[in-house]
Amino acid sequence: MRRIFFYTLICLSLSGGAFAAPPERIISLAPNLTEILYAMGLEERIVGVTSYCDQPPRAKDKPKIGGMSNPSLEAVVSLRPDMVVMTTDGNPREFEVKMRNLHQRTYVFQARQISELPQGIRDLGAALGAEEQALALALRIQDALDRMRAGGSAQSPKRKALFIVWPEPMIVAGPWTAMDDALHLLGLENIAHDVKTKYPKYSVEEIIHRNPDVIFIGKGHGNMQEVSKGLLQKLRMLDAVKKGRVYFTGDALYRLGPRVIDGIEELSGYLNRE
Amino acid sequence: MKKQTLWMIIGSVCLAVLSLCVGPKWINPLQMDEVSRQILLSIRLPRVILSLLMGGALGASGAVLQGILRNPLADPYILGISSGAALLAALGLLLGSTAFGFFTIPVFAFVGAVLTGIAVGAMGYRRGGLWPERLLLAGVGVGFLFSSLLMLMMSLSSDEGMRRAILWIFGDLAMADWSLIPYGFVLILIGLILSLWRAKGLNALMLGDDIAHSLGFNPGRERWILFLAVGLMTAASVSMGGVVGFIGLLVPHIIRFVVGSDNRVLIPLSVVAGGALLCTADTIGRTAVAPMELPSGIITAVLGAPYFLYLLKQKDILGES
Repeated sequence: MRRIFFYTLICLSLSGGAFAAPPERIISLAPNLTEILYAMGLEERIVGVTSYCDQPPRAKDKPKIGGMSNPSLEAVVSLRPDMVVMTTDGNPREFEVKMRNLHQRTYVFQARQISELPQGIRDLGAALGAEEQALALALRIQDALDRMRAGGSAQSPKRKALFIVWPEPMIVAGPWTAMDDALHLLGLENIAHDVKTKYPKYSVEEIIHRNPDVIFIGKGHGNMQEVSKGLLQKLRMLDAVKKGRVYFTGDALYRLGPRVIDGIEELSGYLNRE
Repeated sequence: MKKQTLWMIIGSVCLAVLSLCVGPKWINPLQMDEVSRQILLSIRLPRVILSLLMGGALGASGAVLQGILRNPLADPYILGISSGAALLAALGLLLGSTAFGFFTIPVFAFVGAVLTGIAVGAMGYRRGGLWPERLLLAGVGVGFLFSSLLMLMMSLSSDEGMRRAILWIFGDLAMADWSLIPYGFVLILIGLILSLWRAKGLNALMLGDDIAHSLGFNPGRERWILFLAVGLMTAASVSMGGVVGFIGLLVPHIIRFVVGSDNRVLIPLSVVAGGALLCTADTIGRTAVAPMELPSGIITAVLGAPYFLYLLKQKDILGES
């Protein structure tokens, strides 16, 4: 029931957006949206971002409105935005309702997977009156995705891969994550694809059984090589570890924004190195 | 030795052996391929040993503390030791320190636990000994202070490290490793020997300080030694696998109901039962929703609490009648 209510709100906000003038004072409630807005060239119109918005680096100079899961209502309102963009992934739904009660225009970004990103960007562009910039960005991403997908489907047989988000306690990228999409796109099989949560705490024993051919370890806090030592010691008999197919990657895939292309290219670069 | 005692020990040994075979995949120790052998020796065996050590240490600590504080609500964490360990572990994660390599977080946690223990001990100290009410209040006060500081760090930090600190605080045996076990074993063994050595004194303390005195024990001094023992066991346990609740609080009550409150029997059996319970909980945690894992601390309570509540309601667990 809440879901229906929520989607109704979204439809209302969409239809509202179509008739109103393009917003000039935009607040972004998510780091990936901030990146998308910058990539669409809307920097001048952004008046507030979250304290997590650190890409591109100059986004850090924008006024802050709090965190992603706990944005400050007062901070948002005091910046007098005429549009607040938020996402279904990470922002609290209640915040959207509160904004609406204050007669604040909002837009909720719907894309959750890499394949939905180009369309998500175009919808966002339409809501912000920036259709052309959005279309250009969406096409650029779509082209890159098509190119990489063509490369990926040429891979056979399918190799097994695992993307470790944090080694201890071991959190891996499950289904419905950009990492899972990226592995799939590159023609790899994510061995943690069959679990029921996005970021499961995964069994070390099970990794040994499933024996991935390639292991990626994402960027986190601190020195990842050092933090991963204990885990790699446990996995030492896997081919991936023995043959040095454990790669430490950046954090580009952690956000569903324009940098996912860089993230996929980075993984692809490691694969082609062999 | 009572019949129940014997059964409890046999049952625990069987559980520990069985838990080696059970996991995401069943392993038959008599027929192993190379992969199974590695899983058994370098993943499951250290994990089972760690669960036995931690569970045993917590069970014994709880039994001793309930005695020295004369309070049925006492558990190893009431002295603030867990919050001290968690605070420093979180600090280590936040600073991104790798000063001690793989051992960094355990070392930070251990230092936090020991410093907290010393601080609480110093505040509980008066006129040449430790006093139950002072210790209890000092522990609760320090515990509140440290957990608030931890919350403060978490609210101010936008860091992935903090999310891990939370997971760690809930207790996680998945990263059990041979390298941690010898030092944990030594510390816990020292604590256990100290507790058993002073078990008679503990029996006397439970009758009240005056009676203990007339039986030839110095209550303040007895409590010092026992407090040291508990501090060692809890600090070692928390630093190896985080904070696992329930065992320290409720296992001693269950055992006291079965074998009575003579600490010379109660302490070793709390070790056995605590170890067996955590071992079982961890086995379920790594098997039930494989390939995902559940934190052992949660399962321990889900398994143990209903049984405890049943005993409390149906049986004379507090010796009231």
